[in-house]
Amino acid sequence: MQKIKFYGVGGQGAVTAAKVLSIAVCLYQDEYAVTVPVYSHERRGSPVYAHIIVDDQPVLLNCYVYEPDIVVVFDDDLIDMGVDVAEGCSPDTVLVLNTRRPETAERYRRAGGFRRILTCDATGAAVKTIGLNIPNSAMLGALARTGVVSIDAVGSALRDAFGKAGEKNVNAAEYAYEHTQDA
Amino acid sequence: MSVKLFDGNSAAVEAIRLARPGVIAAYPITPQSGIAERLADEVADGRIRAEYVRVESEHTAMSVAVGAQLTGVRVATATASVGLALMHEVCGVAAGCRVPIVMPVVNRSLASPWSLWCDHSDTMAERDTGWLQYYCATVQEVLDLTLCAYRIAEHGDVLTPAMVCLDGFFLSHSMQRVETPSDEEAWTFVGPYVRKNMYLDPEDVMFVNALCPTFEHTEMKYQQAVGFERAAEVTKDVFSEFERRFGRKLSTVECYRLEDADVAVVTIGSMSGAARYVADQLRAAGVRAGVLRICMFRPFPAEEVRQALKNVKVVGVVDRSSGLGAAQGPVCSEVKAACYGESPRIFSFIGGIAGRDISDISFRRIFGELQEVCEGRRDVCTRWFDASEDAMNIREVETPC
Repeated sequence: MQKIKFYGVGGQGAVTAAKVLSIAVCLYQDEYAVTVPVYSHERRGSPVYAHIIVDDQPVLLNCYVYEPDIVVVFDDDLIDMGVDVAEGCSPDTVLVLNTRRPETAERYRRAGGFRRILTCDATGAAVKTIGLNIPNSAMLGALARTGVVSIDAVGSALRDAFGKAGEKNVNAAEYAYEHTQDA
Repeated sequence: MSVKLFDGNSAAVEAIRLARPGVIAAYPITPQSGIAERLADEVADGRIRAEYVRVESEHTAMSVAVGAQLTGVRVATATASVGLALMHEVCGVAAGCRVPIVMPVVNRSLASPWSLWCDHSDTMAERDTGWLQYYCATVQEVLDLTLCAYRIAEHGDVLTPAMVCLDGFFLSHSMQRVETPSDEEAWTFVGPYVRKNMYLDPEDVMFVNALCPTFEHTEMKYQQAVGFERAAEVTKDVFSEFERRFGRKLSTVECYRLEDADVAVVTIGSMSGAARYVADQLRAAGVRAGVLRICMFRPFPAEEVRQALKNVKVVGVVDRSSGLGAAQGPVCSEVKAACYGESPRIFSFIGGIAGRDISDISFRRIFGELQEVCEGRRDVCTRWFDASEDAMNIREVETPC
């Protein structure tokens, strides 16, 4: 079982990404996933969360994730918005971070004690491939580097979820997958 | 049958589409809006051949549903929270006129304080209005129980409307794997709507729900009560047929590792999987823990609950509504009454109000208290198990404003 928590800000598509991850795992990896998004006072720019539990067995838990194995941060400003992305984490928790600044990754490492941090300029990847600064599909590409989901499954799920815009989003995910690095 | 990905709202829409309604009247309300919106899409795109009546309120949605279904057509609607409260009056009309409407209700807290999030205060407030109630534990069950509800509600011996209750956000917005029957497979199971009682002829209209004299009213209520008794049997028959056709087992009450349990929790809704998860962990650690999950709340399966719990030493019943002023939460009241004269000690737990998460952590705490009772180290349990310790200081006002 892998417990994953997504942190984003409203408008970045983090909740949509969680749903696409569910499609990838359930339909294209023949495993099980339960996604529980958190909807609060919805407005662009406020922090949003989604919780995903992935397993090769049917998932019993239909609740939030409190001790994540993987944390995915869609916006590197979250550390300055009073959001504690390290909550419930252990040193073994893997952080997947959307950033283009190595020093920001180090700030996250100091704050959370993460031993492994994967970084990707997902926003840059989205601008380059889609023409929009919405990093959600690119972040799924970066997440595929952890091995919890394959990049092919992500691609198939993105085609399902985005219809006409599917191919561009697949490009974003694949570009990000190629450009994700261990910090 | 194919595997699809649905959130709870989409699973409800898929079940409704498979049942081929002729009239739809729904008013959107969070977190049910996805149902009202997607039903409109299905009609606009021709996947459901129904008339979609745009209404100005839930009171009218149910009024349209009652009137339309009385002409002999299957009707779809759905609601949540204060929308259900606004429907309350007409829900009674549907039940008393024996119009077997099937309605998904996306559970959301009733005002006030104003909330958008899940608890069962909305459907628990309707528990005695004459509707069947089934509570889903997973998104798969949203589809399965809705399909079954048509068969049960419309059965000639039942003729009682049914609510299929799904937890707001925890199920309505949770994407999960759903084994989905083909249109043909589902239609062979659900079948066309056949009116079996009073009906309206649009060419020769008549007054429905006229004043009923006292000398007949008791008998009409008695007929409804008999309908509920039959619903308990019909539900089991329909669940058996469903399992034969589709291979998925549904149960009015789901007993999990209860045979030799010392401690057990009783659950309802989407919290139930977490309870089973913790029971497994406790079993692995040598604690004899079990779970009873209630799927069918109306009619209440009292005898099954009694049989399942009578040999358990200590039971905790988790209500997702506050049951203000009652001796305990509404589910706990039923469980206690069902177990009257039996030996388990039964404790009421209230939590998960207005979207507060009920997780494996919650159940470890609840089971922990039940074990302490079992071992004689505790006499009282923490009823409001997830309330903060400074609850009385929240939004305290020092001077009247």
